[in-house]
Amino acid sequence: MKFFDCNESFGRSIIRPIKFAETAKDLLKEMDFYGIDEALVFHSRQRDDSPVVGNEILLNEIEGFERLHGMFAILPPQTEELGSLETILERMRAKNIRAFRAFPSEHKYLMTKTALGSLYELMVERNIPLFISVTESCGGISGWYLIERILSDAPDLTLVVTEHGSWGHDRFFRPLIEKYENLYLDISRYELDGGISDFCANYGAERLLFGTSFPQWNPGGPILMLAQADITSKEREMIASGNLLRILGRVRL
Amino acid sequence: MSFSALIREFMEKGRSNSCPVIDMHQHMGPFQGIYFPNPSPEDMIRTMNRCGVKMGVFCSHAALINPEANIEMAEVVKRYPDRFRAYWSINPTYPERIEKEINRFSKTEGFVGFKFLSDYHKYPITGPRYKPVLDYAEDHDLLVLMHTWGRSPYDSPVLVEKLAEKYHRIKFLMGHSGYGEWEKSIQVARNYPNVYLELTAAYAVNGVIEWMVKEAGSEKILFGTDLPWFDPHYGIGCVLFSKITDEDRCNILHRNAERLLQPFL
Repeated sequence: MKFFDCNESFGRSIIRPIKFAETAKDLLKEMDFYGIDEALVFHSRQRDDSPVVGNEILLNEIEGFERLHGMFAILPPQTEELGSLETILERMRAKNIRAFRAFPSEHKYLMTKTALGSLYELMVERNIPLFISVTESCGGISGWYLIERILSDAPDLTLVVTEHGSWGHDRFFRPLIEKYENLYLDISRYELDGGISDFCANYGAERLLFGTSFPQWNPGGPILMLAQADITSKEREMIASGNLLRILGRVRL
Repeated sequence: MSFSALIREFMEKGRSNSCPVIDMHQHMGPFQGIYFPNPSPEDMIRTMNRCGVKMGVFCSHAALINPEANIEMAEVVKRYPDRFRAYWSINPTYPERIEKEINRFSKTEGFVGFKFLSDYHKYPITGPRYKPVLDYAEDHDLLVLMHTWGRSPYDSPVLVEKLAEKYHRIKFLMGHSGYGEWEKSIQVARNYPNVYLELTAAYAVNGVIEWMVKEAGSEKILFGTDLPWFDPHYGIGCVLFSKITDEDRCNILHRNAERLLQPFL
């Protein structure tokens, strides 16, 4: 079974985790240990520094490594720090970047239509997915309130929520899954016993993506959990790689 | 990619004949803040079978709230004596009940010791209400599983150390390994022969298992899952994919627990 991880990062963080991969090469060594084939990645400087700096560091670091696929950190277009939307798109086209990531806690912006409306329109028009951790917050709202706010502003957006936490989030996310058909969850912390099979029985396997949240979290958890989940082989393959390949494949840069 | 024999076995079959798992930190039944697909004893046994968990030691959610429910756990152990043992819950917010609970414990089979949930009960493990329980556990060589959390005023590893200085025969299981205050937790487990690191939730923190094995030794680490909270395969996967030996993995997943449970089987 092919594992395509939707949620890995590398580089030195502002707060050192117990374990980390400093370079893309180090990250690939870690992926080999866990048996992960490919990964959608960001560099810690995209989060801990300005995306102006971090996005370029990512591009330089992953150049030539075909198993690593980058994502761009976003900022509100109004400050034009990342250039115009057309400039961003050109850069993504040139480097085959097919996903965005939002870090509103660190980068201090509102995730509202007022701030990000034009960016949301671009994402929807071109099927570019946006990744965000449910641990993020902005402007006084956080967690699943923030996720619902994003989706109520941009209901057709392909949104992937990562690290939704192990302390029982089903009551939070199931109403959103039912309402917004382009909402996806990574399974890096979906530790609930029977959670994956119960979710698949109710909503199908299309909405779950294999993710590890490396380096913060131990990839062995989601790997064995998915390998042995009480679901069909087809569902397992969809979660392990098929769904992410489909999402990235329909991006039009 | 070259997986160890044990990793290959779990990845292919979901369980291992040579390394059966013992889960030292389970619960049972529904609880306040979470949806459980599999909360009943029978559900849990199905999960345990799927994951190669041969035995679980649990304390029901109901008993953590109301001490009256302790006795219900005895019935579960009686029904499934090869699969379950239990911890008797002590709720220190009902101090008038403590002596009665010790008395009831002493007359009931199927229990290996006590469970303290001090962060939830908002009462420190070093407080005087726990003293008669700890004295009894010391006199009878029992296990005490404590929820422990880093820098908590109720159950941090610093407070566990205070108990370990005084009680030498109780086997203290630091539930969640004093989550977040890793260095101190590991130090306490290393320095006191009767203190163990229990992995529920802690296993997910990348690198922490390697750190524990290196500094405290794999003989001082116990596996647990909070079942019906967490899929045992998640925690087992974290142990398997830590950079330690298969011997260490077997110590953590079953050997250490077998040793501790021997008097209660």
